[in-house]
Formats: sequence, C-alpha cells, structure tokens
Amino acid sequence: MPFFGELFVSEILRKPVLDPKGEELGKVRDIVVVRGEAFPKVTALILEKKKSLMNLPWTGLNIFNKRIISSNIYTESLQTYEFNEKDLLIVRDIFDKQIVDANGAKVVRVNDVKLEGYDSEALLIAVDVGMRGIMRRLGFERGGEDVMRIFKKHLSNNLISWTYIQPLEPKLTKISLTVPRQMVSELHPADIAEIISQVSHKEGASFFKGLDVETAAEALSELEPEVQAAIITGMDTDKAADIIEEMPPDEAADVLSDLPVDKAKEILESIEKEEAEDIQELLGHEEDTAGGLMTNDFITYPPEISVKDAIEKFRKDAEDVETVYYLYITDPDEKLLGVVSLRELLLAPLDAKLSDILETKLKTVTPDTDEIEVAEIVAKYNLVAIPVVDTEGFMLGIVTVDDVIDVILPPSAKRKRRKV
Amino acid sequence: MSLWKKVAVFISVMGPGIITANIDNDASGITTYSVAGARFGYSLLWTLIPTTIALVVIQEMVGRMGVVTGKGLSDLIRENYGVKATFFMMLGLLIANFGNTVANFAGWAASMEILGLSKYMMVPFGAVTIWILVTKGSYRFVEMILLYACIIFVGYIISGVMANPDWNTVIKQTFVPKIQWKSEYIMMSIAIIGTTITPWMQFYLQSSIAEKGISKEHYKASRLDVIIGCSITDIISFFIIITCGTLLFPYGIRINEASEAALALRPLAGDYASLIFAISLANASLLGAIIVPLATAYYICEALGWEAGVNKTFKDAPQFMWIYTLTIALASLLVLIPGAPLVFLMVLSAVINGLLLPFVLVFAILLINNKKLMGEFTNSRMQNYISWGTIISVIFLTVSWVVTSVF
Repeated sequence: MPFFGELFVSEILRKPVLDPKGEELGKVRDIVVVRGEAFPKVTALILEKKKSLMNLPWTGLNIFNKRIISSNIYTESLQTYEFNEKDLLIVRDIFDKQIVDANGAKVVRVNDVKLEGYDSEALLIAVDVGMRGIMRRLGFERGGEDVMRIFKKHLSNNLISWTYIQPLEPKLTKISLTVPRQMVSELHPADIAEIISQVSHKEGASFFKGLDVETAAEALSELEPEVQAAIITGMDTDKAADIIEEMPPDEAADVLSDLPVDKAKEILESIEKEEAEDIQELLGHEEDTAGGLMTNDFITYPPEISVKDAIEKFRKDAEDVETVYYLYITDPDEKLLGVVSLRELLLAPLDAKLSDILETKLKTVTPDTDEIEVAEIVAKYNLVAIPVVDTEGFMLGIVTVDDVIDVILPPSAKRKRRKV
Repeated sequence: MSLWKKVAVFISVMGPGIITANIDNDASGITTYSVAGARFGYSLLWTLIPTTIALVVIQEMVGRMGVVTGKGLSDLIRENYGVKATFFMMLGLLIANFGNTVANFAGWAASMEILGLSKYMMVPFGAVTIWILVTKGSYRFVEMILLYACIIFVGYIISGVMANPDWNTVIKQTFVPKIQWKSEYIMMSIAIIGTTITPWMQFYLQSSIAEKGISKEHYKASRLDVIIGCSITDIISFFIIITCGTLLFPYGIRINEASEAALALRPLAGDYASLIFAISLANASLLGAIIVPLATAYYICEALGWEAGVNKTFKDAPQFMWIYTLTIALASLLVLIPGAPLVFLMVLSAVINGLLLPFVLVFAILLINNKKLMGEFTNSRMQNYISWGTIISVIFLTVSWVVTSVF
C-alpha cells in the first residue's frame, strides 16, 4: 500500500475508514505498531464501529492519508480485536505518556505522534512534545496559528526523533532501540539524576535498571536520599550490591544508612569483604559530622620511602582512589605523621625521603566534628581534603572538598523542588 | 511491629495530609466559618461531622493513589483520559485558583489594615516576599516555614476557648442537629462543605504524597496522616464557628468577611481576641497565597508536559514561571485597585470550583478502581458504596450551592 508523505496520528483519529464500495468500515480508534529496523512500523489500524473493535491490517489499506483512508477489504473479512497487553498501541501506550528525551536530557510528555511513509510502510518517526501538538489534539491548531500570527510568530512544532527516545516503563522497551540506551549512558550522571527525580519512583527505578553499573553508581549518588532508598529497595540484592560496590565507600555508606536495616545488611553481605568493612566502619558515624562525611579511600605511605619509590607506587595506587592530591604519611600503626601534597612530591628531588619533605603542621578534625565546622576549616585553609583522626592521632579517613560543597550547596538534583 | 517502630514510621510519612488540611483553611474558608458562626450561632456546628467524614473518604482515596502509583492526580488524568479532559480541567483550575489567590490577598490586605498597616505597602510587600521566597529560596526552607506557620492556626483554638462558650450547648448542638429549614441556613451549610472540599487540594495532596515517595508498606501510616489532617482542619473550623457564635451571634452582629469578625470582636472580647483573629487570618491568607499559585503552576505544567520547578529560570521553564508570577502579580494588583470586581471574581472562582469538583471526584473514583494502576489497592465493594455515596452527595450539594449562589 503506497503511503507517501507524513501525518500526525491525531489527524486521523476518529476518521472514517471506507471499504471499496465507499461504505464506512468504522472509525480509527488506535494504531498497532511493532519494532522495525530503525523505527517502529504500523501493522494495523484498530477500528471502532458501534462499540465493537476490529483489526484492519496495514496490508488491507488502499489509501492512507489525512483526508482519506480506504481499504480493499469488506466488513465481513475484518477480524474483531480485543485490547491486550502484548500489542503496542500508539494512543493507549504512547500518547500522553512521559518519556525521556535522551538528546535534550529531560522528561517530556507525548502530545502527538508523527508517521512517515517509507517504501510501502508507515513508520513512527517522531513524537510531538510541543504546544502545537496540544493544540492539534484539542482541535484548534488552526485557531492557534491565527492567534500566533497576530503576534507575528509561528506556532512551531517541537518534534523529537524516535531515535532519541528512551521509554520509562518496560512496556515500551520491547520496541526500543539500542541507540538511546547508549545515549542515556553517555548523559552526565547529574542529568540522569534530574530525569529520575522528575518521574514517579516506580518509573525512576525501571529507568535506572537499564543503566550500566558504572553510570548507575554515579547517578545514584546524585539522587535524594529517599529516592536512593526507594530505588535500591526495589532492586534485587545482587544488582544493588554491584552498584554499591562501585561507589566510593562514603557515598555507599550514605545510601545504606537510609535503607531498612535488613536490606542494608543483606547488601553488605554480598559485597566484597574488604569494601564492606570500609563501609561498615563509616556507617558508625553520625551523618552530619566529619565521620559521616569522610571516606576511608585515601593514600598512605610510610615516611622512610624515597620520593622515587613513592611516585612509582602512586602510579599504581591512584587508579582506585578518588582523591589523590594528598599523600598521608603514617607510622606502621597508622598514626598520622604528616602530609605530602602531590605537587610537593612531583617537585621534590627523586632521592629525597618522604620524611624530608613532609608537612607536619596539618589541620585535622575528629569524627564528631560538626559538618559546618569542617566546611569552615576546609574553606579557611583552601584544602582539597582534610584528614579525620581520632583522639590518639590515628588516621580514620578524609573529608574531601566535593562532600563539603554538598553540605553548603546541595547538588541541584537534591535541591530540586518537589511538588509543593 | 513494636509501638516505637510504628511511631517512627508515622513521623517519617507525616506531613502531606496535615499541611494540605491546614492550607485548606485559607481566607475564604475562614470567612465562611466566621459568617456561619455569627449568623447562626452553634446551630451549624453539626455540619462539620458529615463534612469531616466526606473529606476523609475523599482524601483517603486520593492519598492511596499517591502512595500506590507514585504519580500526581493531574498526571493520572492526563495519562488515562487524554489531553482534552486534562486541558479543560487545568484551565478551570487556573481560573478558580486565580480567584482563590485574589481572596487570599484580600484577606491579607484586610488583616494588615486591622493591624494598622497600610495595604498599599503590605500587599506588594507580601507578593514580592512570596515570589522571592519560592523562586530564590530552597524548597526545604519553604516547607519548614509552612510547617511552622501551621502552628499559628492554634490561635483560633485559643480564641475559641477564651470566648468561654457554654460547652454543654456546644456539644449538644454538634451531635444533635437542629436543622432550620430556611434557605439561608441551608445555603450556609452547603457553603461549609463547598469551601472545605475543593478540587485543588486533591491535586495537592496526591502530588505531595507521591513526591514524598511513601511506600505501599507504609500506606497505613500515611492514611493516619490524612485522617489527622482532615480532623485538624475541621477542629479549627469548629473553633472559628464557636468564637463567632459565642461573641457575635447573641448580639445579632452580621458580618460578611473574616476581617469584619476580627474588628467586631474588639469591643466585645478585647484587643487580644481581635488580634489573634487578625494574625491568624493574615497567616492563613499568606499561606494560601504561597501554595495555591505554586501548586497550580505545577499541576498545569506537569499535565501538559512543560518544564516545571522553582529553581528554573524564565527561559528554562517559561510557562511555569509565567503562570506562577502572573497569578501573584495580577491577584495582588486587583486587590489594590479601588472598585475592582473582587466579589464577582470570588463568586466566579467558587462557581468554577463547584463545577470542577464533580469531574475531579469522578475521575478519582474511576482511577482508583482501575486494576492496572492500583492492583490490589482498588476500592473494596464496601468502600465503593461509601465513596460513591459521599461523592454523589457532595456533588449534589456543591451543584445546588453553585446554582443558588448564581441566581
């Protein structure tokens, strides 16, 4: 069946479909699409006549445009149709739903759907998310155009190509493409967090499940605590454990501390032992203190090694550590002796010992120091990280400047409104 | 579950129901209760019992939808009933809530005048403060202010107790209704229901519960929050009626506005009662003026798929920012223009609210019985009888209220 050109689904809804004699078969109620090569393609129209539904296959169509739709078969040979969950229907499943625009990194609502003819098929090529789509659905696209013309403006279409669309609920996944998944993974984790916080928790969780572990871990730490908890609780323990393991221990501890105790325990048990111990240690501290902010992910070296050896070692160690700008020098009991900044290390003669260049007058805080106080010290001395030591001087962890900034200025996804 | 665990769960989900209920007592609500008390004494107190029951039945359903679907009511209506129904409903809500905001600014202006402050200064000051608070402040800050501001409503309880009513009569009249078959009396009782059960609060409650992300396991605690909230609203109403019924009714003082109540109280009950009434009115008006425009802008943008958020700029979220800003700016301007048709606007807003409510309630009950959305949380047969009964009576009463107030 030849169909050239393009049309919006709302333009043909409730339009009569004629049989070869010009009798009305029924009115267009919905459109069935299935996965195509690049775009979903139309396989059938659902017609409605006197409350009963019929399935008119695409191949049974003769003319298909916004003015006339006619068929080459008669009522007798039409099959009845019953709504079922397997089919993907444009009006029922795509119209009015929220979807993710992977290109613009935001959540939008589908106002209309655009079909385009290609070979002898009708493809779903784009969704309309603009004002014009709403006007068209309401039946005053023309009037809207006229009004806008008074203001010398054009009522523009806001179309998003299907290739940039990522469904929120698994239902649409069946026909989704591989492209947007990759695109979503390439989005900045903060953008992903923003998207998740704009939709319901259930949709957020199913969207989140589609991310790879690394992206998921980064996006998770940008989310609000309640959302984090909702998402992790809804996941199976193994997947949750994988994601938590990927996060820096301080952020992992933050997430776990907001979970129900049983779930947190379960996840901790499935995490690698060493990592789990680090997290466990951090979980013991109050959330708004240095202990609650700190991470135990830092670099320590003994004082007696040479700068050359330290650099050598650093190349290996720095790979897995989040904050690398300070090397903490400790004695064998992990008592903090001093600090060497990365800059000092690189500028020092290779044969010097770390004990020769180490700075002993350094600022430290204790685990129960209030977070605001920590922020003030970090700001005052322009530090990238500050060590946390217990009363006897043993090194427990560091608080990094990015966590301090979160105290003063929560990241936008966290600060983001919620509907009042 | 141990008692302490239950308490902890409740505290964590508490909030939406209580805040919604408190904001429900905005300037127009307080006016209705004051007028009712001054005109009919305690004899309308009984209406608060069926009103509370209806409010609980309806809010419980809406709250349940918020917990189970995690979506707002405007989202659900859009996704299940399409763009047409949503668009006209949102248009109605916009107009009705504009009228509501005007009423709130008028209440703010009147209470400021009583406190001896010029409205020409205080209305612009209030409008600008609200705008800045919401667009430049953080949401948490706003929420905190809202929760604390709710405490000021206790002022009405204090003034009710200070009025020293005859509690025997109060209790008798509350539980044993003596209905007067006068048209004014019947209209007043319907007005009480109409001002207590409004369309916008259904949207507001469901969204705030959905946003809070309360899980299905904690649904019972959330229901308690809703029930407590509904009871608090009507307890406040109860005390407003008592105050005016004790102090103004015996002298036959007729009032038409809440601010007149505050003024009339001064010679009868002293400066304090008058002051408490004026401050509470100012607080209620301002709270309403913060929430109603903001809520409206959110529902409309979400339903129609526009960017929304208080931290966004005019460029990022133009529709949202314009709806929010224009509602506040125009409403506060109208209050200051002498001879502006304020009464007409408020009646119009009440009428549109009355017309919207049937649709909102019918959509709500249809959605809650949708198995695909609600799963095992749909209404039971018994709940459906109760809900339909409530909804049909509320619809009948509000429509007759609309009809009588227009003609």
